[in-house]
Amino acid sequence: MLAASAAALPLLLGAAGCRSSDAFAGPDPLAGRPPLGHDVLTLQAVIAAEENMIDLYRTASSGVAETPRARLLRSLLAQHEQHLVQLKARLVVPAGASPSPSPGGRASPSRRPSTVSTARLRAAERASAADLMQRLATVPPALAQLFASIAASDATHVTALGG
Amino acid sequence: MMATTGAVPALQAALAAENAAIFGYGAAGAHLAGSSQAAAEQDWTAHNRARDTLAAMISARGATPAAAQAFYQLPFRVHNASSAARLAAYLEDGVTRAYLGLVAVSDQQLRRFGAMAMQEAARRAVSWRGSTQAFPGLTPPAP
Repeated sequence: MLAASAAALPLLLGAAGCRSSDAFAGPDPLAGRPPLGHDVLTLQAVIAAEENMIDLYRTASSGVAETPRARLLRSLLAQHEQHLVQLKARLVVPAGASPSPSPGGRASPSRRPSTVSTARLRAAERASAADLMQRLATVPPALAQLFASIAASDATHVTALGG
Repeated sequence: MMATTGAVPALQAALAAENAAIFGYGAAGAHLAGSSQAAAEQDWTAHNRARDTLAAMISARGATPAAAQAFYQLPFRVHNASSAARLAAYLEDGVTRAYLGLVAVSDQQLRRFGAMAMQEAARRAVSWRGSTQAFPGLTPPAP
């Protein structure tokens, strides 16, 4: 009886001249899964970008001899991995939605080490910092602070890479 | 992490950090020579410019910029080039943290201003420390 009532509710409300959203103060339980909020979409995009950055560093540092450059790349990679942990910790996706971000997709794993130059890493770090600077204006204060700190870290990576 | 704060208190906090840095670079510079001393002078000048900018921003909001203290207690004894460089990095870390407060205000331009200033201070800190950090200015909670 309960299930039948729930299914019939929109019809009953419609017959009474009401939309289901008029009858409830909160989210409409009959409207299906709510769309993801701006903050969630922003975090998903930033997480995807951070994952791409990590892929880039893993590719650049894999199979590289033990050199000062290799040590630097590993250090910067570790910091990007810390960024990713913090970003993911702030991502709360509504039940039923996919937690894996898709914008931009992951970087190609087939990249050979020789194809990731220091200049490319510098450009990626600059682009990441600029992207975070754009995004921090429209997110809540705590998330803006995290983005600003990561952007500052990325900016220092450019310097560490000789930029 | 800091919650939303008013613009003027956040600007005053950044100004206080800049004033402390100006004092601290004076102490550090006395123990540096050559290119390190030149770098310290350059950074000292940058902090003076930032102080003036912040003071103007505070005045433009109808508030009075807080005056610098006559003396600041240094966090450790500075007696040679190594400890002077450590002090410079310490000062830049403090400035980075202070600007993080500006990133929490609702004014979007101030957020961007604070974030840009964080990058400049973090880069200076790296030049003195010789290594980068994952979260300049921020102590992230345990995930």
